[in-house]
Amino acid sequence: MNADNTEKLIAKAIAALPYSSPRAGFGARVMAAIEEQAAAETWLQRALKAGGVIVAAWSAGLSFLAARLIHANFGNIAAALIEPGGVSRAFSLLAAHGALILAKLAAAAPLIAGWALDAMPPYHEMTAAAILCAAAVAPLARIRTAADKN
Amino acid sequence: MAENEIELTRRCLGGDSSAFSGILEIYQDRVYSFALRLLKDPQAAEDAAQETFVKAFRGLSSYDPACPFAPWLFRIAHNAAMDALRARNKTVSMDAEDFSDLPDGAVPVEDGVGAALDAERIEALLASLPPLYSEVLLLQYREDMGPAEIARVINAPEGTVKNRLFRAREMMKAKMAADPELMQPFTGRGRIEGETVI
Repeated sequence: MNADNTEKLIAKAIAALPYSSPRAGFGARVMAAIEEQAAAETWLQRALKAGGVIVAAWSAGLSFLAARLIHANFGNIAAALIEPGGVSRAFSLLAAHGALILAKLAAAAPLIAGWALDAMPPYHEMTAAAILCAAAVAPLARIRTAADKN
Repeated sequence: MAENEIELTRRCLGGDSSAFSGILEIYQDRVYSFALRLLKDPQAAEDAAQETFVKAFRGLSSYDPACPFAPWLFRIAHNAAMDALRARNKTVSMDAEDFSDLPDGAVPVEDGVGAALDAERIEALLASLPPLYSEVLLLQYREDMGPAEIARVINAPEGTVKNRLFRAREMMKAKMAADPELMQPFTGRGRIEGETVI
């Protein structure tokens, strides 16, 4: 048999092969899988956004506390700054106040860690962290406000 | 690419995800059959086809509408099928032992045999080849792709594709020569009519 003819025969035979169809409902299963993945991605995006909001909230809270700290002790800081060697004393004063606040925040950490160990879904964990964040920031702000009044 | 496909891909790229079901309808049998002929297992083929479409949907933004859609889609299908073969620990290699029965040069097939290759027989022949070889034959003859398009699908140089096509054809001829039963006249469904090879 001529080799070229054999090749043509093979080519024609393969070209004429019928297509098989997958089981019924294949299209619906694919679309469902696509939607499932899209939903998972939406959750991930929401979680990332929630994480971003929490980081922003913490940053804002810390900035607010730092500003109030400076405002509350402005007289002492200004006086310390005027005196010779006052800059280092002013920083020491701020550091002491900051350490006090951090210690209070650290006291809330075991509670957060305990919840995290309970394998909460990430979005629950982030919501809890946001509430804790607000709960920690609000009393501290009130303490400083009370100190101002005194 | 048909006008309908162009419109569907354009709508998909424009963010209309419902248009993807139209693409799915057009290509599902082609992609499934391609996977089935490589994997030889309907469930594995369906999984690979599903993975292909899910990945295609997610990766639509990387598709260049200036290029034909089929090679882009079959490249994803090729990757899914190869992953499935690897997961089954099937060797997808180019080792010499894969085609140890391949003689040098053109293979003479017995003279004077009335030739007809029905679908079942050609399926059996294709199934007997290593997937790397049956794949290029399917892409060239069944999917009507040229070596350049096949090269894009399998992510290999065009020279490699041509070499594989040559070897695949030689392997087919060798198997046909070794088994004259394959060349007997056949009148069943899928017979290729009008071919009498001398």
